[in-house]
Amino acid sequence: MSNLKERLAARFTNGKVSLFHNEQRLELIAFLGGLCLFFSTIEYLFPKPVPFFRLGLANLPILITLDILSPGSIFLLVFLKVLGHGLINGTLASYVFLFSISGSFASAVVMLAAHRVGGKRISLVGVSVFGAIASNIVQITLSVTFIFGQTAWVIAPLFIGLGVTSGVLVGLFAEKLREQSRWVAGVRQLNVS
Amino acid sequence: MSRKTQYNPFLKAHFSAVHLFLTGGLIIPAFLFQNNLTVRVSQVLLFAALASFAGKRIKWNYFLVMVGSITAFNLLQPLGEVILRIGPFAITRGALNQGLEKGFTIVGLVFISLFSIRPDLRLPGKVGGLVARVFFYFERIIEGKKQIEPRRLIESIDTILLSIYTPGQTQLAGGEATFTEAGQTTWVGVVCMTTLVLLNWSALFLAPLA
Repeated sequence: MSNLKERLAARFTNGKVSLFHNEQRLELIAFLGGLCLFFSTIEYLFPKPVPFFRLGLANLPILITLDILSPGSIFLLVFLKVLGHGLINGTLASYVFLFSISGSFASAVVMLAAHRVGGKRISLVGVSVFGAIASNIVQITLSVTFIFGQTAWVIAPLFIGLGVTSGVLVGLFAEKLREQSRWVAGVRQLNVS
Repeated sequence: MSRKTQYNPFLKAHFSAVHLFLTGGLIIPAFLFQNNLTVRVSQVLLFAALASFAGKRIKWNYFLVMVGSITAFNLLQPLGEVILRIGPFAITRGALNQGLEKGFTIVGLVFISLFSIRPDLRLPGKVGGLVARVFFYFERIIEGKKQIEPRRLIESIDTILLSIYTPGQTQLAGGEATFTEAGQTTWVGVVCMTTLVLLNWSALFLAPLA
Protein backbone atom coordinates (compact mmCIF):
# COMPACT_ATOMS: atom_id res chain seq x y z
CA MET A 1 0.00 0.00 0.00
CA SER A 2 2.71 2.45 1.00
CA ASN A 3 4.65 1.45 -2.11
CA LEU A 4 1.66 2.35 -4.28
CA LYS A 5 1.31 5.63 -2.40
CA GLU A 6 4.97 6.46 -3.03
CA ARG A 7 4.67 5.56 -6.71
CA LEU A 8 1.56 7.72 -7.08
CA ALA A 9 3.22 10.60 -5.24
CA ALA A 10 6.31 10.30 -7.44
CA ARG A 11 4.11 10.31 -10.54
CA PHE A 12 2.22 13.43 -9.57
CA THR A 13 5.35 15.28 -8.51
CA ASN A 14 7.39 14.24 -11.51
CA GLY A 15 9.59 12.07 -9.27
CA LYS A 16 11.12 15.14 -7.68
CA VAL A 17 11.39 15.98 -4.00
CA SER A 18 8.84 13.29 -3.09
CA LEU A 19 11.89 10.98 -3.07
CA PHE A 20 12.78 12.35 0.33
CA HIS A 21 10.60 12.69 3.40
CA ASN A 22 7.76 15.13 3.64
CA GLU A 23 9.28 16.67 6.79
CA GLN A 24 12.54 17.30 4.95
CA ARG A 25 10.60 18.81 2.06
CA LEU A 26 8.69 21.19 4.36
CA GLU A 27 11.90 22.10 6.19
CA LEU A 28 13.60 22.93 2.89
CA ILE A 29 10.57 24.98 1.74
CA ALA A 30 10.52 26.87 5.07
CA PHE A 31 14.22 27.63 4.72
CA LEU A 32 13.79 28.77 1.12
CA GLY A 33 10.88 30.95 2.27
CA GLY A 34 13.17 32.58 4.82
CA LEU A 35 15.75 33.08 2.06
CA CYS A 36 13.12 34.73 -0.17
CA LEU A 37 12.31 37.17 2.67
CA PHE A 38 16.00 37.85 3.15
CA PHE A 39 16.50 38.71 -0.54
CA SER A 40 13.36 40.79 -0.36
CA THR A 41 14.91 42.95 2.38
CA ILE A 42 18.20 43.16 0.44
CA GLU A 43 16.20 44.57 -2.47
CA TYR A 44 15.35 47.68 -0.45
CA LEU A 45 19.06 48.62 -0.55
CA PHE A 46 18.91 49.15 -4.32
CA PRO A 47 17.56 52.44 -5.68
CA LYS A 48 14.36 52.15 -7.70
CA PRO A 49 14.40 53.71 -11.20
CA VAL A 50 10.63 54.35 -10.99
CA PRO A 51 8.13 54.09 -8.11
CA PHE A 52 6.27 50.75 -7.72
CA PHE A 53 9.11 48.91 -9.48
CA ARG A 54 10.64 45.81 -7.87
CA LEU A 55 13.85 44.08 -8.88
CA GLY A 56 12.60 40.57 -8.12
CA LEU A 57 15.56 39.34 -6.07
CA ALA A 58 13.15 37.36 -3.88
CA ASN A 59 12.61 35.06 -6.86
CA LEU A 60 16.20 33.76 -6.65
CA PRO A 61 15.43 30.80 -4.33
CA ILE A 62 12.52 29.84 -6.61
CA LEU A 63 14.70 30.01 -9.72
CA ILE A 64 17.48 27.82 -8.33
CA THR A 65 15.07 25.15 -7.09
CA LEU A 66 12.87 24.93 -10.19
CA ASP A 67 14.42 21.60 -11.14
CA ILE A 68 14.55 20.28 -7.58
CA LEU A 69 11.07 20.92 -6.21
CA SER A 70 7.73 19.70 -7.56
CA PRO A 71 5.24 22.30 -8.91
CA GLY A 72 3.16 21.91 -5.73
CA SER A 73 6.18 22.69 -3.56
CA ILE A 74 7.09 25.68 -5.74
CA PHE A 75 3.58 27.10 -5.33
CA LEU A 76 3.73 26.54 -1.57
CA LEU A 77 7.06 28.40 -1.50
CA VAL A 78 5.59 31.28 -3.53
CA PHE A 79 2.60 31.46 -1.15
CA LEU A 80 4.87 31.52 1.91
CA LYS A 81 7.07 34.18 0.31
CA VAL A 82 4.12 36.49 -0.39
CA LEU A 83 2.44 35.82 2.98
CA GLY A 84 5.68 36.38 4.90
CA HIS A 85 6.33 39.57 2.99
CA GLY A 86 2.80 40.79 3.72
CA LEU A 87 3.25 40.08 7.44
CA ILE A 88 6.67 41.71 7.72
CA ASN A 89 5.69 44.84 5.82
CA GLY A 90 2.15 44.90 7.17
CA THR A 91 0.62 44.99 3.70
CA LEU A 92 -1.41 41.79 4.05
CA ALA A 93 -4.77 43.60 4.01
CA SER A 94 -3.98 45.99 1.17
CA TYR A 95 -3.85 46.11 -2.63
CA VAL A 96 -0.10 45.43 -2.40
CA PHE A 97 -0.82 41.86 -1.28
CA LEU A 98 -3.25 41.28 -4.16
CA PHE A 99 -0.69 42.60 -6.65
CA SER A 100 2.11 40.64 -5.06
CA ILE A 101 0.30 37.29 -4.92
CA SER A 102 -1.05 37.60 -8.48
CA GLY A 103 2.31 38.64 -9.93
CA SER A 104 4.24 36.00 -8.01
CA PHE A 105 1.93 33.13 -8.98
CA ALA A 106 1.83 34.21 -12.64
CA SER A 107 5.61 34.40 -12.62
CA ALA A 108 5.93 30.96 -11.00
CA VAL A 109 3.54 29.33 -13.49
CA VAL A 110 5.38 30.82 -16.47
CA MET A 111 8.85 30.00 -15.05
CA LEU A 112 7.80 26.40 -14.41
CA ALA A 113 6.33 26.09 -17.91
CA ALA A 114 9.43 27.64 -19.52
CA HIS A 115 11.69 25.37 -17.53
CA ARG A 116 9.68 22.22 -18.32
CA VAL A 117 9.14 22.99 -22.01
CA GLY A 118 12.56 24.50 -22.70
CA GLY A 119 14.56 22.00 -20.66
CA LYS A 120 18.29 22.48 -21.10
CA ARG A 121 17.78 24.72 -24.14
CA ILE A 122 16.69 27.57 -21.91
CA SER A 123 19.01 29.07 -19.30
CA LEU A 124 17.97 30.50 -15.94
CA VAL A 125 18.33 33.94 -17.52
CA GLY A 126 15.64 33.04 -20.06
CA VAL A 127 13.40 31.50 -17.40
CA SER A 128 13.84 34.56 -15.18
CA VAL A 129 12.99 36.95 -18.05
CA PHE A 130 9.81 34.99 -18.83
CA GLY A 131 8.84 35.13 -15.15
CA ALA A 132 9.50 38.87 -14.91
CA ILE A 133 7.42 39.58 -18.04
CA ALA A 134 4.52 37.47 -16.73
CA SER A 135 4.60 39.20 -13.35
CA ASN A 136 4.71 42.65 -14.96
CA ILE A 137 1.87 41.94 -17.39
CA VAL A 138 -0.39 40.69 -14.57
CA GLN A 139 0.45 43.65 -12.33
CA ILE A 140 -0.07 46.20 -15.12
CA THR A 141 -3.42 44.58 -15.98
CA LEU A 142 -4.50 44.77 -12.33
CA SER A 143 -3.40 48.36 -11.97
CA VAL A 144 -5.19 49.36 -15.19
CA THR A 145 -8.37 47.54 -14.10
CA PHE A 146 -8.53 48.63 -10.46
CA ILE A 147 -6.42 51.74 -10.01
CA PHE A 148 -5.23 53.85 -12.92
CA GLY A 149 -7.76 53.19 -15.71
CA GLN A 150 -7.20 52.36 -19.40
CA THR A 151 -4.85 55.30 -19.98
CA ALA A 152 -2.20 53.59 -17.85
CA TRP A 153 -1.38 51.18 -20.70
CA VAL A 154 1.03 53.86 -21.93
CA ILE A 155 3.45 52.96 -19.12
CA ALA A 156 3.34 49.24 -19.98
CA PRO A 157 6.36 49.24 -22.37
CA LEU A 158 8.54 51.02 -19.78
CA PHE A 159 7.60 48.57 -17.03
CA ILE A 160 8.03 45.52 -19.24
CA GLY A 161 11.41 46.88 -20.42
CA LEU A 162 12.55 47.33 -16.82
CA GLY A 163 11.17 43.89 -15.98
CA VAL A 164 13.24 42.29 -18.75
CA THR A 165 16.39 44.07 -17.51
CA SER A 166 15.84 43.00 -13.91
CA GLY A 167 14.95 39.48 -15.12
CA VAL A 168 18.32 39.25 -16.91
CA LEU A 169 20.23 40.45 -13.83
CA VAL A 170 18.42 38.09 -11.44
CA GLY A 171 18.84 35.22 -13.92
CA LEU A 172 22.59 35.86 -14.27
CA PHE A 173 23.01 35.86 -10.49
CA ALA A 174 20.96 32.66 -10.21
CA GLU A 175 23.18 30.97 -12.83
CA LYS A 176 26.29 31.99 -10.91
CA LEU A 177 24.82 30.83 -7.61
CA ARG A 178 23.85 27.47 -9.11
CA GLU A 179 27.34 26.96 -10.56
CA GLN A 180 29.40 28.06 -7.56
CA SER A 181 27.36 27.50 -4.41
CA ARG A 182 28.15 24.44 -2.30
CA TRP A 183 24.83 24.88 -0.53
CA VAL A 184 22.87 24.79 -3.80
CA ALA A 185 24.89 21.73 -4.84
CA GLY A 186 23.95 20.07 -1.54
CA VAL A 187 20.27 20.80 -2.05
CA ARG A 188 20.45 19.44 -5.60
CA GLN A 189 21.86 16.19 -4.22
CA LEU A 190 18.57 15.64 -2.40
CA ASN A 191 16.95 14.89 -5.70
CA VAL A 192 19.13 11.86 -6.38
CA SER A 193 19.43 10.46 -2.87
CA MET B 1 6.68 51.99 1.33
CA SER B 2 7.55 51.73 4.99
CA ARG B 3 10.78 50.69 6.61
CA LYS B 4 10.65 48.00 9.27
CA THR B 5 11.11 49.54 12.70
CA GLN B 6 10.63 48.61 16.34
CA TYR B 7 6.94 47.94 17.00
CA ASN B 8 5.38 50.29 19.56
CA PRO B 9 5.71 48.75 23.07
CA PHE B 10 2.34 50.24 24.13
CA LEU B 11 0.55 48.41 21.34
CA LYS B 12 2.39 45.18 22.14
CA ALA B 13 1.44 45.49 25.80
CA HIS B 14 -2.26 46.26 25.30
CA PHE B 15 -3.26 44.55 22.06
CA SER B 16 -2.96 40.96 20.93
CA ALA B 17 -1.88 40.61 17.30
CA VAL B 18 -5.09 38.75 16.39
CA HIS B 19 -7.39 41.38 17.95
CA LEU B 20 -5.50 44.17 16.24
CA PHE B 21 -5.84 42.31 12.94
CA LEU B 22 -9.61 41.91 13.54
CA THR B 23 -9.89 45.62 14.32
CA GLY B 24 -8.31 46.39 10.94
CA GLY B 25 -10.73 43.96 9.30
CA LEU B 26 -13.74 45.68 10.94
CA ILE B 27 -12.60 49.14 9.86
CA ILE B 28 -12.01 48.25 6.19
CA PRO B 29 -15.74 48.04 5.14
CA ALA B 30 -16.57 51.32 6.90
CA PHE B 31 -13.68 52.96 5.04
CA LEU B 32 -14.44 51.40 1.64
CA PHE B 33 -18.13 52.40 1.65
CA GLN B 34 -17.40 55.99 2.67
CA ASN B 35 -18.63 58.33 -0.09
CA ASN B 36 -17.65 61.66 1.40
CA LEU B 37 -14.18 62.56 0.08
CA THR B 38 -13.36 64.93 2.97
CA VAL B 39 -14.18 62.23 5.54
CA ARG B 40 -12.19 59.69 3.55
CA VAL B 41 -9.11 61.92 3.51
CA SER B 42 -9.52 62.47 7.28
CA GLN B 43 -9.68 58.71 7.79
CA VAL B 44 -6.51 58.26 5.74
CA LEU B 45 -4.72 60.81 7.93
CA LEU B 46 -5.97 58.98 11.06
CA PHE B 47 -4.73 55.61 9.72
CA ALA B 48 -1.38 57.18 8.79
CA ALA B 49 -1.05 58.52 12.33
CA LEU B 50 -1.89 55.07 13.73
CA ALA B 51 0.63 53.36 11.43
CA SER B 52 3.24 55.88 12.50
CA PHE B 53 2.31 55.36 16.18
CA ALA B 54 2.68 51.61 15.65
CA GLY B 55 6.32 52.23 14.77
CA LYS B 56 6.19 52.11 10.98
CA ARG B 57 8.33 54.76 9.34
CA ILE B 58 6.16 56.01 6.50
CA LYS B 59 7.66 57.14 3.20
CA TRP B 60 5.41 60.11 2.51
CA ASN B 61 6.90 60.70 -0.96
CA TYR B 62 5.83 57.23 -2.05
CA PHE B 63 2.23 57.84 -1.00
CA LEU B 64 2.10 61.33 -2.50
CA VAL B 65 3.38 59.97 -5.83
CA MET B 66 0.81 57.18 -5.56
CA VAL B 67 -2.19 59.51 -5.04
CA GLY B 68 -0.81 62.00 -7.58
CA SER B 69 -0.24 59.45 -10.32
CA ILE B 70 -3.62 57.74 -9.82
CA THR B 71 -5.37 61.12 -9.99
CA ALA B 72 -3.33 62.17 -13.04
CA PHE B 73 -4.20 59.00 -14.96
CA ASN B 74 -7.88 59.41 -14.09
CA LEU B 75 -7.83 63.02 -15.31
CA LEU B 76 -6.87 61.77 -18.77
CA GLN B 77 -10.43 60.44 -19.11
CA PRO B 78 -12.73 63.52 -18.85
CA LEU B 79 -15.87 63.10 -16.75
CA GLY B 80 -18.42 65.80 -15.90
CA GLU B 81 -18.04 69.56 -15.63
CA VAL B 82 -14.79 71.23 -16.78
CA ILE B 83 -13.29 73.13 -13.84
CA LEU B 84 -9.96 74.16 -15.36
CA ARG B 85 -8.23 74.24 -18.74
CA ILE B 86 -4.46 73.96 -19.12
CA GLY B 87 -3.80 74.36 -22.86
CA PRO B 88 -5.61 71.55 -24.66
CA PHE B 89 -5.99 69.61 -21.40
CA ALA B 90 -9.29 69.90 -19.51
CA ILE B 91 -9.55 69.04 -15.83
CA THR B 92 -13.04 67.71 -15.08
CA ARG B 93 -14.72 67.55 -11.67
CA GLY B 94 -15.87 63.93 -12.02
CA ALA B 95 -12.45 62.63 -13.09
CA LEU B 96 -10.70 64.61 -10.34
CA ASN B 97 -13.06 63.29 -7.63
CA GLN B 98 -12.80 59.76 -8.96
CA GLY B 99 -8.99 59.89 -9.08
CA LEU B 100 -8.64 61.34 -5.58
CA GLU B 101 -11.15 58.83 -4.21
CA LYS B 102 -9.28 55.88 -5.74
CA GLY B 103 -5.88 57.21 -4.68
CA PHE B 104 -6.86 57.85 -1.06
CA THR B 105 -8.70 54.52 -0.83
CA ILE B 106 -5.63 52.60 -1.90
CA VAL B 107 -3.29 54.52 0.35
CA GLY B 108 -5.76 54.23 3.27
CA LEU B 109 -5.91 50.45 2.90
CA VAL B 110 -2.12 50.30 3.07
CA PHE B 111 -2.13 52.38 6.28
CA ILE B 112 -4.84 50.18 7.86
CA SER B 113 -2.75 47.16 6.95
CA LEU B 114 0.42 48.74 8.33
CA PHE B 115 -0.99 49.41 11.79
CA SER B 116 -3.20 46.33 12.16
CA ILE B 117 -0.79 43.64 10.97
CA ARG B 118 2.16 42.74 13.15
CA PRO B 119 4.92 40.29 12.25
CA ASP B 120 3.99 38.18 15.31
CA LEU B 121 0.45 37.59 14.04
CA ARG B 122 0.05 33.84 14.48
CA LEU B 123 -1.93 32.25 11.67
CA PRO B 124 -3.87 29.09 12.56
CA GLY B 125 -3.20 25.53 11.41
CA LYS B 126 -0.36 23.97 9.46
CA VAL B 127 0.18 27.10 7.37
CA GLY B 128 0.68 29.08 10.60
CA GLY B 129 3.32 26.58 11.74
CA LEU B 130 5.09 26.74 8.41
CA VAL B 131 5.07 30.55 8.41
CA ALA B 132 6.59 30.44 11.92
CA ARG B 133 9.44 28.29 10.56
CA VAL B 134 9.91 30.66 7.62
CA PHE B 135 10.32 33.55 10.08
CA PHE B 136 12.66 31.49 12.23
CA TYR B 137 14.97 30.91 9.28
CA PHE B 138 14.59 34.50 8.08
CA GLU B 139 15.79 35.79 11.45
CA ARG B 140 18.74 33.39 11.43
CA ILE B 141 19.77 34.50 7.92
CA ILE B 142 19.39 38.19 8.90
CA GLU B 143 21.68 37.55 11.91
CA GLY B 144 24.38 36.39 9.49
CA LYS B 145 23.96 39.36 7.15
CA LYS B 146 27.05 41.14 8.49
CA GLN B 147 29.22 38.25 7.32
CA ILE B 148 28.39 38.96 3.67
CA GLU B 149 31.43 40.28 1.82
CA PRO B 150 30.77 41.95 -1.55
CA ARG B 151 34.14 40.72 -2.92
CA ARG B 152 33.39 37.10 -1.97
CA LEU B 153 29.64 37.40 -2.41
CA ILE B 154 28.65 33.85 -3.28
CA GLU B 155 31.25 32.28 -1.00
CA SER B 156 30.14 34.33 2.00
CA ILE B 157 26.42 33.75 1.32
CA ASP B 158 27.24 30.05 1.04
CA THR B 159 28.93 29.99 4.44
CA ILE B 160 25.87 31.55 6.09
CA LEU B 161 23.43 29.21 4.36
CA LEU B 162 25.45 26.10 5.24
CA SER B 163 25.71 27.17 8.89
CA ILE B 164 21.92 27.50 9.18
CA TYR B 165 20.48 24.75 7.02
CA THR B 166 22.11 21.46 6.12
CA PRO B 167 20.38 20.11 3.01
CA GLY B 168 18.10 17.24 4.00
CA GLN B 169 17.73 18.12 7.68
CA THR B 170 14.40 17.51 9.40
CA GLN B 171 15.07 19.25 12.72
CA LEU B 172 15.21 22.98 13.03
CA ALA B 173 18.80 24.11 13.39
CA GLY B 174 19.23 25.58 16.86
CA GLY B 175 15.93 24.35 18.29
CA GLU B 176 12.28 25.19 17.85
CA ALA B 177 10.94 28.24 16.15
CA THR B 178 10.72 31.20 18.49
CA PHE B 179 7.85 32.75 16.58
CA THR B 180 5.25 33.28 19.29
CA GLU B 181 2.44 35.71 19.48
CA ALA B 182 3.15 38.39 22.03
CA GLY B 183 0.67 40.08 24.35
CA GLN B 184 -2.95 39.85 25.38
CA THR B 185 -5.57 42.52 24.87
CA THR B 186 -6.10 44.54 28.05
CA TRP B 187 -9.19 46.65 28.87
CA VAL B 188 -7.28 49.70 27.60
CA GLY B 189 -6.83 47.88 24.30
CA VAL B 190 -10.52 46.92 24.15
CA VAL B 191 -11.58 50.55 24.73
CA CYS B 192 -9.17 51.85 22.06
CA MET B 193 -10.22 49.26 19.49
CA THR B 194 -13.96 49.74 20.14
CA THR B 195 -13.59 53.52 19.86
CA LEU B 196 -11.69 53.20 16.61
CA VAL B 197 -14.24 50.85 15.06
CA LEU B 198 -17.24 52.94 16.26
CA LEU B 199 -15.62 56.15 15.03
CA ASN B 200 -15.22 54.82 11.50
CA TRP B 201 -18.69 53.24 11.34
CA SER B 202 -20.30 56.40 12.73
CA ALA B 203 -18.53 58.41 10.05
CA LEU B 204 -20.02 56.11 7.42
CA PHE B 205 -23.60 56.72 8.58
CA LEU B 206 -23.26 60.36 9.62
CA ALA B 207 -21.09 61.72 6.80
CA PRO B 208 -23.83 62.00 4.09
CA LEU B 209 -25.83 64.22 6.47
CA ALA B 210 -22.89 66.53 7.06
